[in-house]
Amino acid sequence: MGQGGEPRRARAYDGELGAAVARAQEGDEAAFAAAYRIVHPGLLGYLRGIVGDDAEDVASDAWLEIARDLGRFKGDGAGFRGWTATIARHRALDHLRRQRVRPRAATLEQDVLDLPGPHSTHEQALESLSTERALELVRALPRDQAEAVLLRVVVGLDGPAAARVLGKRPGAVRTAAYRGLKSLAGRLGAAGVTKDGHRTLGESE
Amino acid sequence: MDTDMGERHSDRTASGRREAHPDTYAHPDTYAGAEGDAGADAAPARLLAVALREGSLDAAAERRAVEAFRAARAEGAHRAARAARTRRRDDWRPREQRGARRSAKATLALLLAALTVGGVTVAAIGAAGPSDARPGVRRAPQSSPSASGTPAPRAPGTPVLTPAPRTSNAPSASATRPDTAGDTTAHCRAWEHVKDRGRALDATAWQRLITAAGGEGKVAAYCAKRLEEATGKPGNPGRRGKPAGRTAAPGGKAGR
Repeated sequence: MGQGGEPRRARAYDGELGAAVARAQEGDEAAFAAAYRIVHPGLLGYLRGIVGDDAEDVASDAWLEIARDLGRFKGDGAGFRGWTATIARHRALDHLRRQRVRPRAATLEQDVLDLPGPHSTHEQALESLSTERALELVRALPRDQAEAVLLRVVVGLDGPAAARVLGKRPGAVRTAAYRGLKSLAGRLGAAGVTKDGHRTLGESE
Repeated sequence: MDTDMGERHSDRTASGRREAHPDTYAHPDTYAGAEGDAGADAAPARLLAVALREGSLDAAAERRAVEAFRAARAEGAHRAARAARTRRRDDWRPREQRGARRSAKATLALLLAALTVGGVTVAAIGAAGPSDARPGVRRAPQSSPSASGTPAPRAPGTPVLTPAPRTSNAPSASATRPDTAGDTTAHCRAWEHVKDRGRALDATAWQRLITAAGGEGKVAAYCAKRLEEATGKPGNPGRRGKPAGRTAAPGGKAGR
């Protein structure tokens, strides 16, 4: 349904995902599991970026809600990504609100200690990035940039969908994603060369 | 997930410096290139995507999700939800589809509006004669159910023109009869009151009646037959308050 021939919709799994969701809505359990396997990695990645270690718990809550409300959803595979991301985001914000009421020790210190040394070359940086290091980088970004980058890059939403999830104008989200990625690129690619040169980008916005 | 996008990335970056690219690319590989040169192109996006998605599939978590799905299905939650009205936040259909739905609504509204206007027009034609006779009579356009093509019976309380004094013994048209029959009987009932008034006979409705009867002289006979047919029909529920809209003519006897 509704691929529309647009490049942004011609994504690898969206057709498959849309079909799985449609079957799941008819009651097909295996199809629901298939949709889960397609969508969950992106959702969890997004949640890791905003709630850190509690991402698994928050994702679990989100999936309970997704499973319950599945019949309400209307749309295709790309739409399902957006719908589930919205639910996950609400659960994450609830979680952060609860945390603010009952604060606990930040886990970030440990992550910082585990950081690998600065990459000496660009090529080396491109080879791999540990989950911890990626999280550290994302969490150093201003919140709006981090969320925009995560939704676009990790969840795989297009610009308008990401904007809808965040409740913002597409232009604002595009700018935030662009700045966030640029900042990340600077830290990744030039970490060994420019030292702290990019640190301040984190506070920009 | 990265393989098929690799080639696209390379030609994307060639033109990638344009800001505000018309398309927005969701995939990590095409993303950075499409948005502009971010220094290391798509690499950070891809690295980030890979790193944050790593090790995310956990059998136990999947089982919990599927169990929740099963529970909801057993409760009939999915079926009930699908039958419910779609909330905006659950509607993620592509914009074209949502647009199509809206335009279907608009078309329907337009159609209804056209029908209403059409009904008013027909009612006005039907009332052309009587309006000469009695300008003060209030006419309700909605009192012409046959004209708008919806012959559904109306409740007796439906606002219509005040029934003329003669309605009590004058046969009234059934709500289910076809348009022309309704017009004809209505005009026939009014005929006596306008036939001697030359100017009123110019009105289209009367001309039509005369044509249907086959000449001015034959109208009386024609009408007698029509009215008999109409009277002969059994039980006219709610007729008293109903078709009077176009039978305003009988009131014409009180005219100037």
